Amino acid sequence: MTHSRIVIPGELLSDRAEQIPYAFVEKGKTYSTVVGLFSEGKLVPLEGPYEPLEGDIVVGVISEVKFSGYSVEINSPYIAFLSSREIRERYSMGDAILARISMVDEVKNIELSDAKKLPQGRLVKSSSVKIPRIIGKKNSMISLLQSATGCEIYAGRNGYIWISGKGDQSLAERAIRIIEVQAHTQGLTDRIAAFLKSHSKG
Amino acid sequence: MNGEVAKAPELYKDGRRLDGRALDELRPIKIEARVLNDADGSAYIEWGKNKILAGVYGPSECIPRHDQSLYRSVIRCRYNMAPFSGLEEHGKGGPSRRSKELSKVIKEAFENVIISENFPKTQIEIFVEVLQSDGGTRCAALTAAAVALADAGIPMKDLICAVAVGKIAGHMAVDPSKEEDNFGESDMPIAFSLRTGEILLFQMDGLLTKEELAKGFSLARAAAEKIHKIQVDAIKKVYTEPKEERLLLIK
Repeated sequence: MTHSRIVIPGELLSDRAEQIPYAFVEKGKTYSTVVGLFSEGKLVPLEGPYEPLEGDIVVGVISEVKFSGYSVEINSPYIAFLSSREIRERYSMGDAILARISMVDEVKNIELSDAKKLPQGRLVKSSSVKIPRIIGKKNSMISLLQSATGCEIYAGRNGYIWISGKGDQSLAERAIRIIEVQAHTQGLTDRIAAFLKSHSKG
Repeated sequence: MNGEVAKAPELYKDGRRLDGRALDELRPIKIEARVLNDADGSAYIEWGKNKILAGVYGPSECIPRHDQSLYRSVIRCRYNMAPFSGLEEHGKGGPSRRSKELSKVIKEAFENVIISENFPKTQIEIFVEVLQSDGGTRCAALTAAAVALADAGIPMKDLICAVAVGKIAGHMAVDPSKEEDNFGESDMPIAFSLRTGEILLFQMDGLLTKEELAKGFSLARAAAEKIHKIQVDAIKKVYTEPKEERLLLIK
């Protein structure tokens, strides 16, 4: 990771008009809209709500059972809908699922597909902007977490993380909380590796 | 007050104001971002003797639904003064004509910069609580709310700030305190988007000549630059100098 700087809303990113996510162009110049890290023409927000996109794999919680399907809470202002036609299993309220967003329209009606019920475990509510760091480059961070704690970890794009399996779930959760607050720092994977090593049983 | 009229203090003497400031000098300002655990974004500001908390929630589902817009997020603001925040009519607390007005002008200032089209059918709520007041609370509230919004990660076109200018004892002065506001001739709060130079809030009490207005304006603009810098520092500090309790997580 090269040197990046913290930018704030309205800060100039480029003197040219550029298409950068989370930025906007005015009078031929590009400005940031969020608090984020900017380096090499890439702007990564440090905070913010989850904006659902088609194709995202998300972790959701069934919030309502309807006649034709399920309402699913996915850590966004909008409730997603999972049609009964898409699935073979039956869910009840409070079940956690892993699913893909199959459609988002202009008024943010969200439909899910390819749902799968998650095994017994715990839900960690994080933020969507932290997920890239929790997964890491080429899954480096998440595979480190899984191998060190012995848990199965499902990280949804939306910021919800499901931890299951026989491993040390509390340790996995603590490690995720640390990644959250230090997401903007460098050399994080090494620090987390040291943390897990010093805290794992046996 | 027994019907007595309070005697006006000498507001400007030997180049100094009541509290010893120069005409273009702000009161000391301290901003801290992310002070509340359960708000999406928050900020606390101490501006002279003003103490104000701002909390931001959202975007979340807009309730009641008939207020929803299919095109943008609805922005709401509640400015409220705590019952112990000050003396006289300002300190009564609860909804009043005054707090309604300030809620409205703060909301309208933010409607210009928040990119609300990204979140149809939702609401973004800004809550401002004045814990202690000493003149210029609307400017301080707006300044704190801007930091809270940025902290919440709500997309904005600029980080806005506000400052008042007043006319005291015949001189244009920046950031009037409560006494200067009460006994001065005029008070003029202005909110800026410094990136574009736009004015997002502009009110005036009392009378000013064209020249005085222009003078006050340039004073406010120069002060706003200083305030903006304090805002930016407050936001960056969340990441560069995280609070101890956040660091305790790693041990």
